[in-house]
Amino acid sequence: MSTIDLNFEEELKTFCENTALACFNCGTCTAVCPLVNDNFPRKMIRYIQVGAKDAILENANELYKCLHCGLCTHTCPRQADPGEIILGLKRFVVANWRRS
Amino acid sequence: MMKENDKKVGVYICYCGGNISDHVDVEAVRNRVEKMPGVAVAKTNMFMCSDPGQELIIDDLKSGKIDRVVVASCAPSLHETTFRGAIERAGANPFIYEHANIREQVSWVHHGDPATDKATVLISAAAAKARKLKPLEPIRVDAKKHAVVIGGGIAGIKSALEIARNGIEVAIIEKTGSLGGNLNNLGRLAPSGENASDILQEILGKVKAAPSITIHTGCEVTDVQGYVGNFTLDVKGRTDSFKIDTGAIVMATGSVSYQPFEGEFGFGTYPQVITLPTLIEALKQSKYQTETGWFEFGGKPVRNIAMIHCVGSRQIPGIHEPRENGQLNEYCSRTCCSAVLNAANQIKERFAKTRVVDMYRDIRTYGRGQEALYDRASANKVVFMRYEADAMPTVEKSSTPDFPLTVKIKDGLTFNEEMDVPADLVVLATGIEPSDVSGLASAMKLPVGTDRFLLEVHPKLRPVEFPVAGVFLAGTCQAPMDAGEACNAAGAAAAKTCALLSKGVIELDPFVAEVNPDKCQGHGNCVDACIKEGALKLVDVQRGGKTVTQAQVTAAMCLGCGACAAVCPEKAIDLNGWALEQYEDMVDAIVAA
Repeated sequence: MSTIDLNFEEELKTFCENTALACFNCGTCTAVCPLVNDNFPRKMIRYIQVGAKDAILENANELYKCLHCGLCTHTCPRQADPGEIILGLKRFVVANWRRS
Repeated sequence: MMKENDKKVGVYICYCGGNISDHVDVEAVRNRVEKMPGVAVAKTNMFMCSDPGQELIIDDLKSGKIDRVVVASCAPSLHETTFRGAIERAGANPFIYEHANIREQVSWVHHGDPATDKATVLISAAAAKARKLKPLEPIRVDAKKHAVVIGGGIAGIKSALEIARNGIEVAIIEKTGSLGGNLNNLGRLAPSGENASDILQEILGKVKAAPSITIHTGCEVTDVQGYVGNFTLDVKGRTDSFKIDTGAIVMATGSVSYQPFEGEFGFGTYPQVITLPTLIEALKQSKYQTETGWFEFGGKPVRNIAMIHCVGSRQIPGIHEPRENGQLNEYCSRTCCSAVLNAANQIKERFAKTRVVDMYRDIRTYGRGQEALYDRASANKVVFMRYEADAMPTVEKSSTPDFPLTVKIKDGLTFNEEMDVPADLVVLATGIEPSDVSGLASAMKLPVGTDRFLLEVHPKLRPVEFPVAGVFLAGTCQAPMDAGEACNAAGAAAAKTCALLSKGVIELDPFVAEVNPDKCQGHGNCVDACIKEGALKLVDVQRGGKTVTQAQVTAAMCLGCGACAAVCPEKAIDLNGWALEQYEDMVDAIVAA
């Protein structure tokens, strides 16, 4: 259970160009991702949309499996640029790791 | 009896391009039919409804070979009028016609010899009836060139304007004190963004400028008597009652927004839970922008708004709680998805800092130009969440002091994780419910669906018509629709009203009861059995210098059901076109075949 934080979207802007809210949860990114992780990267994009900051930090190890092949960004029908967002999330995680 | 047996029946059997002839041996049927009593001519054709097919009938009638016609083809609903028309063009009475349906009732459901045999039986019965048919004249009733529109919302106003434009006088009867209906409660309309009040002002200007439109506000119709072309309405005003004589009636009684019950999503419990109409009104009253950059409600800045779809719509038995009267609104109100996104876009485009979370069960902004509302909402950074009917969001008091409310939702888009959404304002997208016109509908014998909306005869074959002749319907009394669709329906109802009244005379089918004055003894059984009030009554007439009581039919009101014919001990009342002796001959023919 997480409390959603709609300001997170602003907060992330310092780490990447945040296009997460363009996503309409179609799942194409997850379908084409060569990693066999469940719902990656869609789940991360969704966590940004609802501002589930804790969930992102708890699952941060998933981010480091990403190969940055760019297939998700290439196929995204909404130009939400998932690849760039994942990169930005890594920066966010580094900045916030074990801060609390 | 010999005279009737002199009738020369022409039987025309259709192949329907294989639809019939693939299963029925049409030529074998023709050979059998030809030998039947009274049949003068039996012919076949690939398509009887084609011009050459119709010519067969016309030639035989003109040359005097036949004086009664039977066509065996598809269902009469499709081509009965076609063949009656052909008979009329041959200079004969169109009611000397009988139809045998050997497609839907035979070739589409039977095969081989049984199909051929059944076709033969149906045609022999039709031919036997045809020998007893007598020429009939359509009933002509004078129609008053006047229409009443019940309900002064956008549908009612629009149909009144269209009817008046065609030179027919109209009276609008509106229950409330002013015209405009639900449009009075709307702000900017989706998808164009026009102001509802601007549209209303323009259209009301036209109504006021139209001399042939009379407006009765604060009035209700309490009863309707009469029949097509000649209705009388009892109207009750705030201080007086009066009657209006009219030729046709358009029901445009509209709808209301669903009112949530106490505690539904926290409605009535928390002042921060409001309905969509309340939000729309607040947006109308609000300054275009605020100094804080937040949308303000009740004088307080609103940081987060949660909007919940499908409140009072798409309710499921066993999951949703019915009203005291057991009512559940199982239908989709259609317009709320667009209305919610339209409101969300206005908020985001005027008060960018306010965050909007849109919680839907399903979302569909149907209609031209309305998908763009979703795209715009997405671009405006509205956050969407999805819930299932069996796990509805709940609205609770927030456990933190930051926000007054928390909406708990099991979000399908976040892999069914439980989410707490802090909110300053919760907006319930309440659906559309029809205005309660049950009293009027039962007085006028109008059909009402289980969803309480009024029912037209058929959405494709007879749209915006009621089975009661001369009564039409328009707008949201029929189903949830937006203002544009209500205007479309209003235009259709107006066109049908004008087509009905424009000649000043209405022709009705002559299939009504007729009293034989030589036999009627005035028992009155028929009057008791009659289901249509006013269609049949006992009157005193002069016969042979004596005053006797006899039954009298008001042809324009008779439904042609035959209930009277069934109860008359003297066999003094019968139904034109469906007489008892015609049935007897049909039964004899079926047994003989």
